[in-house]
Amino acid sequence: MNFKSIYKLGSPPLFYKLCIALEPWFLISSILLIAVGMYSGLFVAPPDDEMGDAFRIIYFHVPSAYVSMMAYVYMGAAAIIGLIWRSNVAFSLAKSCAPIGASFTFLALVTGMLWGKPMWGTAWVWDARLTSELILLFLYLAYMMLHLSIPDRAKADRSASLLAIVGMVNIPIIHYSVVWWNTLHQASTISKFAKPSIATEMLWPLIIMILAYTLLFAAFLSKRTAAELAVREKRTRWIQTLILGDKSNA
Amino acid sequence: MIDVLRIVFLRDLKVSLRRWTDVLTSLILFVLVSLVFPLTLGNDSTMLLKIVGPVMLVSALLANLLAMQNIFRPDVINGSLEQLTLSSYPLTWIICTKIFSFWLITSLPLLLISGFIASSYYVTGNSILIVILTLLLSTPSLVHISALAAALTVAIRYPGALMALIIIPLSLPIMIFGSKAIEFSISGIDVSAPLYFLLGMMFFTCSLGPIVTASAIRISID
Repeated sequence: MNFKSIYKLGSPPLFYKLCIALEPWFLISSILLIAVGMYSGLFVAPPDDEMGDAFRIIYFHVPSAYVSMMAYVYMGAAAIIGLIWRSNVAFSLAKSCAPIGASFTFLALVTGMLWGKPMWGTAWVWDARLTSELILLFLYLAYMMLHLSIPDRAKADRSASLLAIVGMVNIPIIHYSVVWWNTLHQASTISKFAKPSIATEMLWPLIIMILAYTLLFAAFLSKRTAAELAVREKRTRWIQTLILGDKSNA
Repeated sequence: MIDVLRIVFLRDLKVSLRRWTDVLTSLILFVLVSLVFPLTLGNDSTMLLKIVGPVMLVSALLANLLAMQNIFRPDVINGSLEQLTLSSYPLTWIICTKIFSFWLITSLPLLLISGFIASSYYVTGNSILIVILTLLLSTPSLVHISALAAALTVAIRYPGALMALIIIPLSLPIMIFGSKAIEFSISGIDVSAPLYFLLGMMFFTCSLGPIVTASAIRISID
């Protein structure tokens, strides 16, 4: 194991270059996979027995929901690393995760509502999954607002990271409290996937789409992180030479 | 160390009692919010019994939100909290003491008055005790969550809305199970399950809350 290369990632110039180098690859592969996944999801996969063609929104809904949660875990992990090692790179990553994750959460909520309207007859049900997704959106918003409101960036980074970690601990508690609250009282109303385990020809486009969305997230994240790092390091020599060429020497 | 904690505790009690208008305002907010519902819903006892649980918890949350904006701010402004941070005594315990004294000042009157409010919602007999017990178990968690939000936003000039944005999602489990406990006791179901959950949440927030709050204070101050 070469731990030295991991430590090196903490250096802003190196991470910046890595982000810039990887971003097009993430983006291209994600676009290709989305094309494949959309085609096979929308045309190749057979229509569902009960839901007909309406189920096909699953290929957009589930990947966004998956990425929205993954982004939060990622943000929390970056926040922990940032708090322990006071790493500028980790804080930039955490800060960049928030708006992207919030967008995917919003997307998951919207597609879920669009799906719910014809299927359940209502766009919104107070079930655990929907509620925790909504709370996730608010946690992202709280993180971003807290970061924006504190003028000193170093303090903003650390305070917001603390909030991200607390939120990460709390999401499962919130989720299960809604689950238990439902099971305590109501007879199960509508469960989202009554899981007649999904057919293979429906499943593999879904997996492709999840992979594609993950890569899309990676592409957005590397772009944002690179920009964030560039702003943070704007006074240093390396970014000036990288962006302005050698003019700054003159 | 015990001496220091005692001094901090007594000092905070004294300071809060001198700023009794703040304490009274949050108490009045609690009463007013819970008054709005019977007045707007009309004198319908079945309806009132149905909503008394959520109303109690929401009013307590709002009162708490209003009061907790001032838990650390004056001490940060006059510099005393910075001195406590610099001192050799563990900040976690000091924060814990501060939160406890704040809970005594802001939440205990609320508990005492909640019985009367509950009876104005036509809650009777044992259920009044359950209302008080529910608030007794849920306000410590609420206070700890609000203290964390207050510590995170201590550097911001008008933290109210942001504190609400932080507190409400995090205190959702407490709101849910608190309302359930009151609802169960009114409809005659065994209340032990939600009360146990509240108790668990109370231990969880009281044990980990001060640690996180102390580190948030350290971040905001240095």
